[in-house]
Amino acid sequence: MIQTIGLKKVFNTGGEKTSVLKGIDFSVQKGEFVAIMGPSGSGKSTLLQLLGGLDVPTEGAIKLDGVELQKKTEKQRTIIRRRKIGFVFQSYQLLPTLSVYENIAFPLHADGRKVDSVAIHELLNAVDLKGYDKRFPYELSGGQQQRVAIARALIHQPDILLADEPTGNLDRERSSDILDLLSAFHQDRGQTIVMVTHDLFAAGYADRIVLFKDGLIETEVQREDDDYAEFLSRFMA
Amino acid sequence: MSVKHSLLALLYEKPRHGYELKTGFDELVESMWPLNAGQVYTTLDRLERDNLVESPGHDLKDRKQYTITKQGKDELWNWLEKPVGRSLLKDEFYFKYLCASFVDYKDKQRMIQVQKQTMMKDVLNLTQLRKQMNQSGNKTMKMLVEGALLHLEADIKWLDMIARD
Ligand SMILES: Nc1ncnc2c1ncn2[C@@H]1O[C@H](COP(=O)(O)OP(=O)(O)O)[C@@H](O)[C@H]1O
Ligand SMILES: [Mg+2]
Repeated sequence: MIQTIGLKKVFNTGGEKTSVLKGIDFSVQKGEFVAIMGPSGSGKSTLLQLLGGLDVPTEGAIKLDGVELQKKTEKQRTIIRRRKIGFVFQSYQLLPTLSVYENIAFPLHADGRKVDSVAIHELLNAVDLKGYDKRFPYELSGGQQQRVAIARALIHQPDILLADEPTGNLDRERSSDILDLLSAFHQDRGQTIVMVTHDLFAAGYADRIVLFKDGLIETEVQREDDDYAEFLSRFMA
Repeated sequence: MSVKHSLLALLYEKPRHGYELKTGFDELVESMWPLNAGQVYTTLDRLERDNLVESPGHDLKDRKQYTITKQGKDELWNWLEKPVGRSLLKDEFYFKYLCASFVDYKDKQRMIQVQKQTMMKDVLNLTQLRKQMNQSGNKTMKMLVEGALLHLEADIKWLDMIARD
């Protein structure tokens, strides 16, 4: 579904070059739930941005359903992103002046699509926020805001959901709610998910964990691997 | 787990014979804790001796029926009212760690790492169990798993503290 080949990213800040991704070969199959873990600053968010077409690599290729994103113009990437990608961030990023309903409808508006109110209410139900459609973000708790953000990320039925530390701002209980929710979308609807997290409790939900270090993939572990936990603990020690 | 009180609870609901108590227990705890039929019968004997249950006789298939007595209900209620304790200053790992210091064991850091790995494996397994429970819609034992995960979280933090000490 999505594949990167020799992906490199160098940032230029004030004449200084920082090499953030140093050659990432990574792929995600349809229906997979993948977690990316690694120290802060190792390039996880940068990879997610590239996968979602928010930015382009310095070198290498990103194929989304066979389409090479880095060859597209910004405009073309925006269209592809609006159709195929859903984003969830640590900081929710809801629009403060819009109601819950309007926030969820926003990606459809942006894409010039008809707003399907049945679908919005169905998603509100799924994220356990029935009856919250007229509320505003400031009236909601962090966990509730993140659930709105998940609904917004999924309203256009994206092929792939990219979540960057979706539980990073939440306590354990609220995190569990969010993870249960993501895992339900994964299991019941076959939603493909790539989630960055530094929390083992979150990563445990994934089928596969990719461990990042210094802009490179250090190792990958499948849930079925016998040494799954050992790999992780060595990595996180 | 108090087998005695679980049997009282099952008999509080309705009269049953021994085998029904065994299957009733398995259902109650979702087969999370094993209980053999032998334990059920010895416990029933003691309950009967202490007048907490009594038998109105045998059913048509000649199985001995049991009912809860007034005294049995009081016992059940008293038990429900009392808080339970947890052993706070008894820790198997720390004990081993103390022994390691005592004999000048060189690889104490490794002991901590291996212990941590075991706990991380538990985290991953429990997370999967939680996922399965969500999927099957069976929520009875969810909070048990949730509690175990919270304890593991604290234990892992604690191991990190020991490692730094
Ligand atoms: N737009 C940018 N311009 C310059 N440097 C950046 C930019 N985005 C990220 N970086 C740098 O790239 C490195 C990796 O960042 P990031 O991908 O956010 O890491 P992670 O998500 O793993 O913590 C950091 O050192 C960060 O400062
Ligand atoms: Mg990041």
